[in-house]
Amino acid sequence: MYLALRNLLQDKLRLILSMIGVALSVTLILLLLGLRAGALRSAVIYLENTPGSVAVMPPGARSTGAGLGQFISPETANAVASTQGVARVTPVLLMLAIPDLHERKEVIRLIGYDTALGGGPWDLAQGREPRADDEVVLDRVLADRHNFKVGDTLDLAGRQLKVVGLSNETSSWTGSSTFARKQLVESLLLAPGAASLLLVTPDEEISFSELVERLRDLPNTNVLLKSQVMANDRQIIANIFDQVIFLMVAAAFIVGALVVGMVIYTATIERRGEYGILKAIGARSGVLYRVVGIQALVSAGLGALLGIAFGFAAGWLVMTARPQFNVLLEPSAIVATLVAGLVMALLGAMIPARAVARLAPADVFRR
Amino acid sequence: MLRLAVSNLIQNKTRLLVSVGGVGLALTLVLFFGAVFTGAQGRMTVYIDNAGADVWVSQAGVRTMHMSESTLPATITAEVAAVPGVDGVVSILYTEGMLQAGGREYIIYVFGVPDDAPFGGPWRVVNGAPKPGPGEIIIDHAIAAQAGLELGDEVTVLGQRLSVAGLMSGTSSVASSVSFISHDDFARVRGGGDVVSYVLVSIVPEETAAAVADRVAQQVDGVTVQTRQQFAAQERALVKDMMADIINIMNTAGYLTGLAVVALTVYIATMARRREYGVLKAMGVRNGKLYQVVVWQALICVALGLALGLAITLVLSAVIPRFNELLVLSVSPASVFRVALVSVLLAGLAALLPARQLAGLEPVAITRRG
Repeated sequence: MYLALRNLLQDKLRLILSMIGVALSVTLILLLLGLRAGALRSAVIYLENTPGSVAVMPPGARSTGAGLGQFISPETANAVASTQGVARVTPVLLMLAIPDLHERKEVIRLIGYDTALGGGPWDLAQGREPRADDEVVLDRVLADRHNFKVGDTLDLAGRQLKVVGLSNETSSWTGSSTFARKQLVESLLLAPGAASLLLVTPDEEISFSELVERLRDLPNTNVLLKSQVMANDRQIIANIFDQVIFLMVAAAFIVGALVVGMVIYTATIERRGEYGILKAIGARSGVLYRVVGIQALVSAGLGALLGIAFGFAAGWLVMTARPQFNVLLEPSAIVATLVAGLVMALLGAMIPARAVARLAPADVFRR
Repeated sequence: MLRLAVSNLIQNKTRLLVSVGGVGLALTLVLFFGAVFTGAQGRMTVYIDNAGADVWVSQAGVRTMHMSESTLPATITAEVAAVPGVDGVVSILYTEGMLQAGGREYIIYVFGVPDDAPFGGPWRVVNGAPKPGPGEIIIDHAIAAQAGLELGDEVTVLGQRLSVAGLMSGTSSVASSVSFISHDDFARVRGGGDVVSYVLVSIVPEETAAAVADRVAQQVDGVTVQTRQQFAAQERALVKDMMADIINIMNTAGYLTGLAVVALTVYIATMARRREYGVLKAMGVRNGKLYQVVVWQALICVALGLALGLAITLVLSAVIPRFNELLVLSVSPASVFRVALVSVLLAGLAALLPARQLAGLEPVAITRRG
């Protein structure tokens, strides 16, 4: 252990550089996983904060992203409301719009809701909920980025809409939420009385599963637990992200392993004379492997810890500079990156271990 | 000085290989992300490019198709058709939806085009029927391959069980792909009144698209009118604006990692030869010359890393679509040039640390130590 530490510390700047190399790889892995987790969280935060535990959707629709082109008719909504065991129905009409704000296209998810029934902003930073059909509550981050204030006018889908409130927790880099009265969205979609989904709150006398069974008897609907819809929403985002992210995580991981390998290899080669002497006086290869392994573990371990700290700093930096990004560093991701750091160390130790194994004591003395 | 730099680097080939590998992979991260973006951007306008319309009419304020909803009363089609210079019109229904098959969901762009439409329908159908009939769907063969679907298999789209009647090629991207169902099927499941999403316009030969677009905009209320080129440019701008920040974040992370690897490599190579540098100093070689050696080492390292990164990205671009046709990768010369430019800066920065070490070297002390 002492020999390993001495070897590593013989050039402190090299150790620091290697730690930074590993740390940056770990940071990149953590940042990628954090962005993914943040995007998954943003995908379900609206449903999480909307009343109801059962979702009635158009036929075949299983997620809020799907079925945007399909609607539940007013007749179906009435039938749901009058089903026994239904305490409350929250109808929501969703629409996507891409306004040009300061010559930049912004994705807005327009949520039409009934102020009396819920489904609107759950954390108002400023202002009030919309009371008229030409009023909206804008996401606070989007408003800040484009200097919108309460009282300003937003040009959306050909309408001049007055901003009456700003909401928290409704931004994401894939788009932000804007809340309006349902009638406004109905008029934009030319679909009077329609809803994208109905969120149903059961009364106290009925179980979720019983209510789901009862609602499934209604025609032209797909009835799911809200938690299932949220899981489907997350899965859709994950399907898109994961194709790209896991390749990048793999590349970052290999970079980290190569950095550890390069540093420990250099440290080993510089001390090959000493290793040769150790071999000549009877030290087994296992002892030397241990020395190399400890160096790799210390170097990668310190780098991984530094990388986790960098990861938190990078997440904070990203969310401060670009508040629409949600970087969520979950404990499972941190554990995964620590494990990745250890595996980097083991892989990185393989090259110098080979060099040590090949050392012939006699050769060292001859040299 | 170049010779000295090369000999310093290749004194230990394993170390050089490892460092070039590290730099190469770090730059691969940047190039790969750029390739994903360019590939997705190229596929984003695939319907607009192939629909055969010269002019596009959408709901007022709607300038894009991706992640957008355009709803027009069906009566608008006749109004557009009556504008001088218009040769033909096709009104289509469009939405983003989910294709459910084999227990998985795939995002698709769903188009409903009238059966007798002279343009706007499927193109490059590689297998099966050229148009969807009632109860049928035409999908991209990449989705079919991933979901294990064949002609005649059933899928669920917009709540309907539809039979796969044809397979198209070249419309899929990491996020979505194009599919066609019959106009009547689409109108029935959409509900909510007699509406269309977009009106596609072809123009008479003696007119220009811009002139006809202006005329339609003046004569028809409640619409946004764009030429095909304008519409496609708006789509590309949407992808760019949506992805710009995430690309910048990924690029910064990739470049910083690359920078650390190059700095480490050049530092180690310089320190391993510090005795020789001390001798050179004692012989009167100026610091400037020694810096040149360090900068050359960094440049060579970065150049080899860039070549490796580019090679890996090109191989990935060729290999990945064979396993996952949805992930289209396209390496653009512009992105290679950008990465090369930043890499030169990286080399300069990476050389700073060892250069400082060299400046601090005392010739006599070094030779005495040696």
